[in-house]
Amino acid sequence: MDVGRHPKIELLTYSEIEEVNGYVGNFEVKIRKKARYVDPDLCNACGDCFDECPVSVPDEFQMGLSSRKAIYMQYPQAVPGAYVLDMESCLGNNPIACGACAEVCEQEAIDYDDQDEIVTRKVGTVIAAIGLDVYDPTEMDEYGYTRFENVITSMEFERLISSGGPTGGHFMRPSDQERPKRIGFIQCVGSRNPKIGRPYCSNICCMNTVKDTLLLSDHYPDTENLVFYQDIRAFGKSFEDLFQRSKQKGTKYIRGLPGDIEEDPETNNLHVTVENTTAGKIERYELDMVVLSVGVVPSEELQRISSLFTLSKTADGFFMESHPKLRPVDAPTRGVYLAGFCEAPKDIKDSVCQAGAAASKAGALLNSGEITVEAITSVIDPDLCKRCGICASVCPYSAIMWSKGEVAKVIEAACAGCGNCGAACPFDAITMRHFTDAQIKAQIRSILSENAEDKVFVFACNWCSYAGGDTAGVARFQYPTTNRLVRTMCSARVSEEMVLEAFRCGAPVVLVSGCHFTDCHYINANRQTVKRMQKLWDKLEKAGVRPERLQLEWISAAEGQRFVETMNRMEELRQTVTPEEIEHSMQALKSKPKKKKKKKEPAKAEASSSE
Amino acid sequence: MSSEQSGEELRIGVFVCDCGSNIAGTVDTAELAEWSEDLPDVVFVGHNRYACSDPGQKEIREAIEEHNLNRVVVAACTPRQHEFTFRNCLSEAGLNRYLVEMANVREHCSWVHQREKEQATAKAKDLVASAVSRAHYLEPQEEPTMPVTRKVLVIGGGIAGIEASTDLADAGHEVVLVEKEPSIGGTMARLDKTYPTMDCSV
Amino acid sequence: MAKKTIETFRCMMCGHEYQEPVEEGEDREWMCPKCRSNSIRHIKKKGDKKKS
Repeated sequence: MDVGRHPKIELLTYSEIEEVNGYVGNFEVKIRKKARYVDPDLCNACGDCFDECPVSVPDEFQMGLSSRKAIYMQYPQAVPGAYVLDMESCLGNNPIACGACAEVCEQEAIDYDDQDEIVTRKVGTVIAAIGLDVYDPTEMDEYGYTRFENVITSMEFERLISSGGPTGGHFMRPSDQERPKRIGFIQCVGSRNPKIGRPYCSNICCMNTVKDTLLLSDHYPDTENLVFYQDIRAFGKSFEDLFQRSKQKGTKYIRGLPGDIEEDPETNNLHVTVENTTAGKIERYELDMVVLSVGVVPSEELQRISSLFTLSKTADGFFMESHPKLRPVDAPTRGVYLAGFCEAPKDIKDSVCQAGAAASKAGALLNSGEITVEAITSVIDPDLCKRCGICASVCPYSAIMWSKGEVAKVIEAACAGCGNCGAACPFDAITMRHFTDAQIKAQIRSILSENAEDKVFVFACNWCSYAGGDTAGVARFQYPTTNRLVRTMCSARVSEEMVLEAFRCGAPVVLVSGCHFTDCHYINANRQTVKRMQKLWDKLEKAGVRPERLQLEWISAAEGQRFVETMNRMEELRQTVTPEEIEHSMQALKSKPKKKKKKKEPAKAEASSSE
Repeated sequence: MSSEQSGEELRIGVFVCDCGSNIAGTVDTAELAEWSEDLPDVVFVGHNRYACSDPGQKEIREAIEEHNLNRVVVAACTPRQHEFTFRNCLSEAGLNRYLVEMANVREHCSWVHQREKEQATAKAKDLVASAVSRAHYLEPQEEPTMPVTRKVLVIGGGIAGIEASTDLADAGHEVVLVEKEPSIGGTMARLDKTYPTMDCSV
Repeated sequence: MAKKTIETFRCMMCGHEYQEPVEEGEDREWMCPKCRSNSIRHIKKKGDKKKS
């Protein structure tokens, strides 16, 4: 493959993203190059080490159907064409224990003392193409995947029929190494099944099974193939053609998913019971082998990559795109693009298409040479700053320079604009550009100037909860008309003062909403939101205001349904708030607490002696 | 410094978008527009069929010029969709791009209250009033420009990552391709033949 | 090893009060096990006593 040789591509295999700093145009990425113990530049893939290695472990590449050595190559055509030593199973360089591979290596490529290495790369754009994992059908015990040898997954089928597989392409079943003659394929294992939390269609399994039946018909015309399905989705270019060919060659398609599988302990044959919904009767089949056409699931790496780049996930657990129709390859984080399966289940052709689109977008940004960033950053007024350093301590980006006794200073290039510092500053010394206190308070007062008692006041963060409201809108979910949203970039922009102001203006219910913890677009700024909420609940209670009137919800951009549920609940809550309560809280919270006078239990005194 | 502080005369223009029937089908946009005229410092109210379209933007630009507007409120869709569009529109009209505010009367109003037209219109009024009150305090901002590091990181050496990497490299860009396994190929390398052409995967 | 303590939480939506072990410095999203609300108030036992 070209990738290994292309002068413009630096290929880092056996490597993981460890840390990400910066932003669009200027990401700084720390990458862990895991110790390989074999220098890929020296290794000439002669295989002498492999022959000498005495250790044998299951081969992951062959789905555990055969074994590999502790020193191995994933597959013969692997790029880079170099061996790797799996230290977990290696006996090590103890002369008593082993050292066989190093002894035989003429290139002297093996180094048992090899260490993980952290390298840093600066990049302008990022393409996430982290792929998928295959569904593990163990939990669907009715199919006996772990109990019956001759029940295999479609991925294991691939290895068993491949000439590069453990059997050299001689198709055989695990129990007796005989060639199976009656093979059943069960579709939608781990797909379109809400009961196991996998409601989505995995997209590729129907056509993969059609392909498998054709392979079998071509290689072994005497096999009898049966496919148990609920719907065959053969929608792509020339897919229907393949499906028809499969049927012409004798594969039987039976509409209905088997309830369970039993094994004949003598023959290891499998008895499948199924309700044939086309014929309207229960049928039983005796089969030599059953292939579970397993679905696909998000990569186990997805959450980690999502957190590193503050991406979002859809309900299915795949990466969310910026817009389902118009920006299908843009991630919500500017400068990050999505390609392949990690965005949604798709086949090879669609993955290649999306990769091309992502490459084109990433390239366009690189070509532009420079980018403008939104002017939403914080500014500290040195005259008002009391040098307390609180702002610096809450900044998730370490974008505020401060040392004891010094006026704090914002490093504009590092400020991402969450507004957390502005909400935290006790002295109003920080102006959050384009989301100033004055702007937000003007909105609060305007919205609550009339009929405040009828309104649920909501602070919503730009990236998640506000976007969740948009998602609800796009889906035309209907909910009560009473809520009024004010958008901030992050829920951490919402200061205690803003919440109190809303209550002072007569809000019956105030909701603060933001991103789920793992989705926070400002690293972890919304942890400060939680802290502020705790303080506010205490404050409200001390002032005799029912603290339940202040609510907190995390709603992701994809959770339109959760947004609606939340708005319904807020409206129910609002209806429990009496005019007397509202009147009382407007009075009780009226006076601005005077910071300097604050002693042990001032809130109650202040609250009652207000005015 | 906001115009509140600087003493500059505020001249706010409000533009109510029908979005075809997307908004106008639920919210009484004519009433909303008329009502908006009485909001403080609003000197002009426009009513567009599609504010984001070229003719819509032209109407906004012309109104800015004709009425000497210095703040703009667009009551239309979510700012997450078209704030950028209207910022550009302001730039073209010679105003600072940060002097526009959107009231989301579509995603957060007309689309989600389709059976309660009266209440939806009342909510839309609140949203416009809120946007206008915020517009009073909007200040011009300069967007900092940053250089772009001319290199791309591709995470994942499966078919998508390989394809994206070679496309970018062929176009002359520096690429760092990171793969967690010892070799590239991803899931596809494990497949025997692939549909629809039934050819080899590796 | 991080210290684990049993802490009390109250859901501000449904009123459900419950206890959960919390690790020191734990960074976790709180959610009411009953109604899935995120309005979870951390009840400090000592503070409670002082107040009442």
